[in-house]
Amino acid sequence: MKDFLRKNGILLLVIALLLSILIGVGSAFFGGNADPLSNVANTVTAPVRSVISTVADWAEGVYTYVFHYGELQEELDSLRTQVAQLEDEVRQGQEASRENEQLRSLLDLQEKRRDFVFESAKVTARSTVNWESTLTLSKGSSAGIEAGDCVITETGVLVGVVSQVGYNWSTVSTIINTDTEMGGIVSRTYSAGVLEGDFALMTQGKLKLNYLPEGAQLVSGDEVVTSGKGDVFPSGLVVGQVEGVFTDPSGQSRYAVVNPSAKLDSLVEVFVIKDFEIVE
Amino acid sequence: MTRRDLIHKWLIYALGLLPVWVLDAYILPRYPIGGISPMLLPLAVAAVAVLEGAYAGTGFGLGVGLWWELTYPGGFGGLVFGMALAGMIMGAVSQYALSQSFPGCLICSAGVLGALDGLRVAQGLLVHTAQLPALLQVAVPEFLYSLIWTPLIWLLFRAVYHRVGGTKLA
Repeated sequence: MKDFLRKNGILLLVIALLLSILIGVGSAFFGGNADPLSNVANTVTAPVRSVISTVADWAEGVYTYVFHYGELQEELDSLRTQVAQLEDEVRQGQEASRENEQLRSLLDLQEKRRDFVFESAKVTARSTVNWESTLTLSKGSSAGIEAGDCVITETGVLVGVVSQVGYNWSTVSTIINTDTEMGGIVSRTYSAGVLEGDFALMTQGKLKLNYLPEGAQLVSGDEVVTSGKGDVFPSGLVVGQVEGVFTDPSGQSRYAVVNPSAKLDSLVEVFVIKDFEIVE
Repeated sequence: MTRRDLIHKWLIYALGLLPVWVLDAYILPRYPIGGISPMLLPLAVAAVAVLEGAYAGTGFGLGVGLWWELTYPGGFGGLVFGMALAGMIMGAVSQYALSQSFPGCLICSAGVLGALDGLRVAQGLLVHTAQLPALLQVAVPEFLYSLIWTPLIWLLFRAVYHRVGGTKLA
């Protein structure tokens, strides 16, 4: 300790405190945009992330090919069956579209036309702490990505919302993260609620659909999509399936536990919705 | 020890930190066990603080805290001061109460991990993120799973210390 005091150790602690304050103020000031120091650090380390991600993906691919060839063959057969089923569903889709129009009217929703502008990005890192669920993407403000943009998979399943943007990287807060809050709707019954992340459910990879209407009759497997209320997020993005309906501890309202459709642990490429138009 | 030797010494410590950071940030989060991935950076601070003492522990803690804040998402700045303070305390405790040995490092690692997880739990309770049992379901496995990595981190930084540590010339 004498050594610590003799060498001006207190000065080091003061410098640390000042840096802490500087970063804290910076992150509060810049909001969704990364503060300049974090931006530089993450921009410089972006190639490292990409290389590690590529190498790890390649290694996993080799491992899967070598040790799970039989499983891959079975999966291929299963996918072929699914393609046939999907082709059948497409034929039924036109009828569903007409029904959709009617149901929109029932829900008194305004008819909207949305033109999504996509930006593809690779997932270069996953949550680095166990207290939140985030993904780091390979693109940022240089590709026109902004905080608040929705992120989906190639099949249109919602992954999360961009929470922080740097020059060539961005952080996505996934739908199971505790800060998630957006309108959700059960597509079968049109029961609207609020999709919210819940810490206890986050560790199980799930989220809540809160504040369900009293008469809502939901069953396990019901599909939940975004409602688009408030026009902040696009409507109709698939979130997941209802796993069960529960009453909250206060007994005042009911909520559904939703199992996300996106496989958040194994995402490789995602699409950021940079823009969507709402034509009324 | 000249300034050049000092820079050389801490560059080698930084190189030692590199594989720890890559593991912590990019490799282990891909393969969580029971949904949990370990925290390795505090273990690195503990190992260096135990080996090098309070002053060097503070400096290394400051550097690691800064790196942690800048390269990991969602930082608010507190880790810079927190890690510097932890480095100072662990360095002083190992100098005066414990020893520059693996058991000393294990105790210090448990201390810093416990403090970090304790703060996370307290923060969770304060902002009503979740109930205590739910928070402990993450904190306890995270603490234990991280602590398991102490021997590896200790061996890595002890090897660096034997090469350039203390007042040895690089």
